[in-house]
Amino acid sequence: MSTVGTKFDSAEDLRQYRAHLLAQYDPAARRVRVCLGTGCTAKGSAKVMERFCRAAEEFGQESLVVQAKSTGCHGFCERGPIVVVDPGNVFYENVNEEDVPEIWRESVIGGRVVERLLYKDEASGETATTPKEIPFYSAQQRIVLAHNGVIDPTSIEEYVAGGGYAALAKVLGSKASRMEPEEVIEEVARSGLRGRGGGGFLTGRKWRSARDAHGQPKYTIANGDEGDPGAFMDRSLMEGDPHAVLEGMIIGAYAIGSSRGYVYVRNEYPMAVKHLTMAINAAREFGLLGQNILGSGFSFDVRINRGAGAFVCGESTALMASLEGRVGEPRAKYIHTVESGLDGKPSLLNNVETWANVPPIILNGADWFASFGTEKSKGTKVFSLVGKVKNTGLVEVPMGMTLRQIIFDIGGGIPDGKAFKAVQTGGPSGGCIPAECLDEPVDFDRLAELGSMMGSGGMIVMDEDTCMVHVARYFVAFLKDESCGKCTPCREGIAQMLDILTRITKGEGREGDIDTLETLGTLLEDTALCALGKTAAYPVLSTLRCFRDEYQTHIREKRCPAKECPGLFQYQIDVDLCTGCGVCRKKCPVQAITGERKKPHTIDWKTCTGCGTCFDVCPFSAVVKV
Amino acid sequence: MPTVTIDGKPYQAQLGETILQVARRGGIWIPTLCYHPAVEPYAACRICVVEIDRGGWWQVVTSCNYPIRRDLTVRVNSERAVRARRGVMELLLARCPESPELRAIAARMGVDGTPYPTVTEAQRNCILCGLCVRVCDERIGASAIARVGRGVERSVAAPFRMPSEDCIGCGACAEICPVGTIVVRMHEEEVEISPFKNRVKLKHCAECGRPIGSELVHKALADRGGPTLVELLATEQFCPRCKRKQLAKEICTRHALRDEPASRGA
Repeated sequence: MSTVGTKFDSAEDLRQYRAHLLAQYDPAARRVRVCLGTGCTAKGSAKVMERFCRAAEEFGQESLVVQAKSTGCHGFCERGPIVVVDPGNVFYENVNEEDVPEIWRESVIGGRVVERLLYKDEASGETATTPKEIPFYSAQQRIVLAHNGVIDPTSIEEYVAGGGYAALAKVLGSKASRMEPEEVIEEVARSGLRGRGGGGFLTGRKWRSARDAHGQPKYTIANGDEGDPGAFMDRSLMEGDPHAVLEGMIIGAYAIGSSRGYVYVRNEYPMAVKHLTMAINAAREFGLLGQNILGSGFSFDVRINRGAGAFVCGESTALMASLEGRVGEPRAKYIHTVESGLDGKPSLLNNVETWANVPPIILNGADWFASFGTEKSKGTKVFSLVGKVKNTGLVEVPMGMTLRQIIFDIGGGIPDGKAFKAVQTGGPSGGCIPAECLDEPVDFDRLAELGSMMGSGGMIVMDEDTCMVHVARYFVAFLKDESCGKCTPCREGIAQMLDILTRITKGEGREGDIDTLETLGTLLEDTALCALGKTAAYPVLSTLRCFRDEYQTHIREKRCPAKECPGLFQYQIDVDLCTGCGVCRKKCPVQAITGERKKPHTIDWKTCTGCGTCFDVCPFSAVVKV
Repeated sequence: MPTVTIDGKPYQAQLGETILQVARRGGIWIPTLCYHPAVEPYAACRICVVEIDRGGWWQVVTSCNYPIRRDLTVRVNSERAVRARRGVMELLLARCPESPELRAIAARMGVDGTPYPTVTEAQRNCILCGLCVRVCDERIGASAIARVGRGVERSVAAPFRMPSEDCIGCGACAEICPVGTIVVRMHEEEVEISPFKNRVKLKHCAECGRPIGSELVHKALADRGGPTLVELLATEQFCPRCKRKQLAKEICTRHALRDEPASRGA
């Protein structure tokens, strides 16, 4: 697929090129798609890919075209590494290196299905051949993630063949059909798209403000500084479909009259940086970036800036300070960044996912996009579903789907037969939503009403064994480390909250602590400089609202009801289950366990430090928490 | 000309002025710590917060940098604004319980103590207002000190916490520091800016040999064609110690050593 030298001078050129690519496409060719997303790579998919590549190279039959390619995240990380074989879209899960020859021989070459690697429904025992038959996928609506897991993100040809840059061609089409910048903004505004990075501001309105703002140059920026613990939506998009982000940015830049763009990616995402770099280079080569794009007279170019790992740099003004080469500290936004942002110039900053939503909106129209979602939250949202949930992964659902549908129908519910307790949405600054609210629809406004937020789309599921004070403490500790320290309430207030929460989880809580936490929470919300500080108390305030009794039990009874805070519960040996094997006795670092061989052992609570070693080592699960 | 209504009373304001400027002109006291007219507002200490009417809801904003763009209704002494300012002061008092300067402002605000323990470490009562860093950068043009570290680890220091070669020993940082963290120490041959360990050679009186001030300041002033160190110190109404303070003040507020942005008035 040599394309060197291809440079499009018009939208028509692009269309012809796509037609040429599609004509070359052989639907009968055998293709193996190996997921090289975050989860699958961690589980060894790179090795699997290597084996498939070797097999493809060694395959000598000229009559059969075979191809092994890597794709971005498929989403079903729990079952990774994931391999899909075409034709047939046959979905294999938990594939390891040793399975490669069998898949190659049977499925790729032989066209037969390898039954043992198919998805198997736990309840019915039925197997599924294609993703469509798997509940995890069937309930999803993939607009932003449509290309993820399908195309090779390092190939601009595949993106173009799959309909990529068609939205840009529509915008910058021939003189007669070209969309005016105002029309583009109107389309985005009518779609009802809201910022996917956390704030949920109306994208169309932001674009209009940026267009109306005075000053040149105007900057177009993509925020890829995803830092929430357990979140990998933006990462997967940048790794799996970098051209979609770029295409959105080019359209946005055209709409506001901007000639320069930046993608701010955290350096902890090396593959995202790599794929974006390749995408930018390829787009330049094809004339989709640079001077006179598609012969329209519009010029725009993008460069990548790597963040150095500060969570606060996801905040718009801190991000821009970082882009300017200064310390990543937020500043007041009384004058918005669309008017005075990077270098004091009008700057349009959108989250990576927001940008990726733009091409489908332009291509299919605002009405189509607005047909998904709720009244005030349109379209879909990508969530990273993690924590105590069976199907950990990346999901994309229409706005308005209930938490229950996401966690139970798609996520498969809670593992090990445990009960659902709460879900934290919106990252560390979000809030915990309890079981009573499982049937609430997920959209920007409803989540805010529930004391949480959409945030960038993290969803951390917690089961009955999770202590909510401990959870609040975890997030506050994270924010204490990530606070830039510029403003007093964030720097000092979070440290005070952490001090109190730490005491409570150690059994040193006092009457009045809850009131102090609430006072500090309100103070932070009112006086902190940026959103990090203003929302830092949300995990505390939301857990206080829904799980106040748990705090009180910690403080008054010095007991952790979920049995998670060390020292606030005890270990006991169940005499019926204990076989007297003596493993716990030998492993106990303080000799707190006594007992004769083959007879039930006992723990001396006076000596026991609550380290949990016996609980971890007991082969018969005879050590229980009481 | 927009009208700013503060606690029910109208005041005329210039476009682009801040709430604090209007309030001060009207004789309304709003406490400030990180604000100084010589440098750009920074809005870090949050002690100057007030409430503004956003049409249906009230927003807490920092008065030191909230620009007036149209008519505005402000509440300085509403319950929420007072509670917010006191809350911030209590947090600062927990950090620097020993600072007499801070306690004096607290007392004026009606705060006589803090309910919080000391959980963050402050270097000699430093409240991290950043005035020293900004005056050194914006007015002196030396950038000898900077904010280092993040969150509770944050502090002000010269690079690598080593004596800085860029410090000219002018003492503007010590002059502008609202809590006395930064001290100018006169040694026989050198002036030291503590706690940064920055040391600069002293210029001595040609007649009696007594120290006049930093050599580098003398040079910097002469380079810019401004009044010389000797001229600035010639006035007879101050003792030598106060003269040095006056000098620092002059540099800090009036005789910036670097090119001034056109926007900033004297």
